[in-house]
Order: sequence, then C-alpha cells, then structure tokens
Amino acid sequence: MDLFSFTDEFLIDLGLTLLKIGFILAVTVGFFAPVLTWVERKQSAIMQDRIGANRADIMGFTALGLFHIIADALKMFAKEDFIPQGANRLLHTLSPIIALVPALLTFAVVPFGGKYELWGHQVNLVISDLDVGLLFVFAIASLATYGYVVAGWSSNNNWSLLGSMRTASQMISYEVTMGLTIIGVLMVYGTMQLDEIGAAQENFWRWGIFLQPVGFLMFLTASIAENKRIPFDNPEAESELVAGYFTEYSGLKFGMFFMAEFIEMVTIGAIVTILFFGGWHIPFIETQDIIDTFNFSWLGPSIANLITMGIQVGVFFAKVCFFIFIQMTIRWTLPRFRYDQIMKLGWKILLPLSLVNIVVTGIVIMLLK
Amino acid sequence: MAYYVNRNVEMTWWEKAYIPEIIRGMLITVRHFFKNLFGFIPFFLGKKKEREIFTVYYPEETMDYPIAYRGRPVLALREDNLPECVACGLCEIACPAYCIDIIPGANSGKQNKDERFPKAFTIDYAICIFCGFCEEACPEEAIFMSDDCEISMLDRKKMKYDMEQLLVPVADLKDRIEFTRKMYGKWNY
Repeated sequence: MDLFSFTDEFLIDLGLTLLKIGFILAVTVGFFAPVLTWVERKQSAIMQDRIGANRADIMGFTALGLFHIIADALKMFAKEDFIPQGANRLLHTLSPIIALVPALLTFAVVPFGGKYELWGHQVNLVISDLDVGLLFVFAIASLATYGYVVAGWSSNNNWSLLGSMRTASQMISYEVTMGLTIIGVLMVYGTMQLDEIGAAQENFWRWGIFLQPVGFLMFLTASIAENKRIPFDNPEAESELVAGYFTEYSGLKFGMFFMAEFIEMVTIGAIVTILFFGGWHIPFIETQDIIDTFNFSWLGPSIANLITMGIQVGVFFAKVCFFIFIQMTIRWTLPRFRYDQIMKLGWKILLPLSLVNIVVTGIVIMLLK
Repeated sequence: MAYYVNRNVEMTWWEKAYIPEIIRGMLITVRHFFKNLFGFIPFFLGKKKEREIFTVYYPEETMDYPIAYRGRPVLALREDNLPECVACGLCEIACPAYCIDIIPGANSGKQNKDERFPKAFTIDYAICIFCGFCEEACPEEAIFMSDDCEISMLDRKKMKYDMEQLLVPVADLKDRIEFTRKMYGKWNY
C-alpha cells in the first residue's frame, strides 16, 4: 500500500489504531492510575481492620472515599514545583517523564483481546502487533531504570543517590531473572508475538501457569521487584532513605513517579495475564462458542463478534484486576527485604532456578516430541 | 526478670521453602479483607453492625477515656458554690512547669466561710505538662485531672484559664476523686 494514499482501508486502520490508543490511555491513565490510589488505601485499611480514607466529601457525600482521588490531584497541582539547590535542573525535570513514558509505552504491544471479524474487517485488539513484542516490552521496561537513576542523581541529595544506586542494582539483577524466565514461555509457545501467545492459551490446560508454574512464580516475583514495591522497596525505603530517589520531588513531578508505579502495576498484571493466565480467554469456553451463542439470525455475525469482543476485553481486565489485587495483598502482607537479602534472592536463588527452568522445559519439550 | 530470646531459630524445610509461608501470610490478610469487606456493607448502608473495626470517627464520635487519664487539671467546686481550694500553694510548689499561679485571700469574716480561699487561681495550659503532680500534692481534694484534652487554641493568651473557667462541680469529678483516693492512699499520704 502506498503510504500516502488515503484509501478507505488505510483510514479505517488509522481510526481503529487511534481508538485503541485512546482506549488504552483511558483505561490506564484515566481509570487504573487514579482508582488504584484509592484501592491501595482502602484495601490496606480493610485488610488491617481499619476504615480507610473516607473524609473527602462533596456536599456531605463521600462515595466511599473516592473523592480522595480528586483531592489528591488538586493537592498535587497546588504544590510548589521545587527544584533543590545544586540540582541539575534539566535532568531533574526530565527524569519523571523518562520514568513514566516506558510504563505507558509497554502497552503498545500488550493485546487486550483477540482477533475479531467486524463487518468484513479484521480487528486485532493490540495497538502494535510487533513480531518481537515480548522483547519490546523488556527493552522499554528497562529504559525506565534510567528515569529512576537520573532522578536520584540529579536531585543533589544523599538519600536520593543511595536510592537510585539501589534501584539500578536491583532492577538489573531482577531483569536477568525476568528475561530468563520468559525464555521458558517462548520455548513452550514458540513465538514472541504477545497476541499469538495469548491466542495459544485458548485451551484451559494450555495456560502458561500449568506449562510454566515455576516460571510464573519467578516472573511475578521479579516483576514486583522491578516495580520497586514492598517487599522489594529498598530503592525508596521510607524508614531508611526518606523516600529514596524521589525525595526531592514535589507536586506533579512526584505525581508522575507515583502514576508510573501504578501504571507499572497494571502493566505487570497485563503481561502476567497474557503470558501465564490465558489472556482474554475464559476457562473451558472457546472464543468460537461465545460467538456462536450470540449469533442469532437477526443479530448477525458482526454484532456477535462485537459482544464477544466486549466480554473478552472485560475478562482480560478482570484478570488484570485480580493480579493487581495479588500485588496489593503482597505489598500489605510482607515486610521489606534487607538489601543483601534482595541480592541473594535475585542472584543465588532466582537466577539458578530460572536456568534450571529453561533446561527442564527444554528436556520436557524434547521428550514430548 | 531477665529472659533469653533465641534469635537463631532453626527453620523447618517447609518454612525454608518460603513460598508456602508467604501464601499462609497472604491468606490471613485476604481473610481479614473479605470478612471486613462484607462486614462493611451493612455499615455503609447506615446500620450499626457489630464490627471488628475499632476506628472512631474522632470529631463526631469520641471515646470515654479511662479514669486514670490525665487531661487538663480542674478545680473542684463544692455544693455551696465555693472552691474546695484553701490556697495553701502546695500545687504551685509541686508544679514542675510553674504553670499554676495562686493569689491567696484570708478570711476577714465577711467574704468567705473558709479561713483561706484563693482570690485568683490561674493555670496556663500552654505551659502545663499534665503530670498530675498538683493533684497528688493537694491535701484538700481540690484540684483534679479531668478527661478534657481538647484545649488547643489560636491565641496563647486564651490558654491561661482563670478560676471561673477552672471550677467544675464535685459531682462531675466523683469517679476521679475515688480514683485518686485509691491511687494516692496506697502510699499513706
């Protein structure tokens, strides 16, 4: 196709892509990032036999504390945008962006639904169907490290620098495990395209969690460590380093780090869902079954496809929510590791385990052939 | 009593595997989460349900403080509308923060039935440390620690309470008087 010829096909593709981008942005930035701040407070509160945030009200109506989201946003807007003395002004301003953008960018290759036939047009629910999707996710996710390291370095603060040094070492150690864990998944499904991996898990017993149980646990551990949340929150350890790499940040710059953390939680949930938890599939129900159920005479196949699409996108995000719930539970259950314990877990336990996982996966695949 | 804490606990292989124990810990928190989540629903619908959450909505709801609580010191007011205080000045001396200021008045036969009475009695709550020494020193059961702790103000000068503000009827202080009798009677004052 000529790049500049605005055929109908091209316009439809362009429109669909923009729609998908808009949908992902609306879901992550518009829904998950703000709502998760509320969920984290409320879930931790209920878990610890407390009530939790419920004081922000509009005309005496509190909506279970949901207005705290608005209050938080207003507070962040109103705060002074502070750059400490002796800080590198350019990098100090740039680093929150470097931290936030990769978190959003990984969603470009994460499929949130399968392929659907709508009015003679193939709709693939992934923004960019890259051949190297999985590698792209890791390439972009590791870029976020720069944001955190630069943030700590540029703010001219000892605590920040210590935090960013810990970030660098921790993220590099756990990226090794993460990358090696993924190899097991690649060997099983034989593709790097995330939507093909998702489509391969239509059968319940072909889900990644059954084919790669050890890989699943290690990947979840490593990705929580990548996200620097408790129990792996050494880079921002409140009791040791004030707030770690974002000690000197205030206002919306701090908000961007905050948002990056929550969006990364969604990203982890989405990737774990795609790789290990059957993506958008409902257990024991195949996509074609759902389409056939809704394919009445007067509805037509396109409407049936549309309904199926809605159901499967809903299922996908329900699974993502489940993994967010698990991450939150882990965060509010386990205490922080010591620094040497994190390194020991990363290099002495997870790395050998992931290598063993690859070998065992290879042997099993060889034997089954 | 000294006791020895063994910190080198030998873990079983099950505990060393770590993941089962993590799951056990998470099950506890998740159980609390769901129990409270469903306990919350009637609570938010307006019904006061017996719940396991002890949070008190502070300004709207308040708790009854235990009787041993030391809030701001107050003066006891007898039934005949006169202060119990005889202006002996023992509390003034006992006060480590020097927040009590008494101007004593002697009986000239007309003003007061008592032999001695305070002409002015001020306590500066901005200085008071709520130690309760004044209560302990008082031989006349005249000054008591109340359960009132909400004495923050925008003006420091208003923190200085004079006698009219300090006086509280004895009937309101009954529990505390009994408590102090039990408490300080132990040492045979």
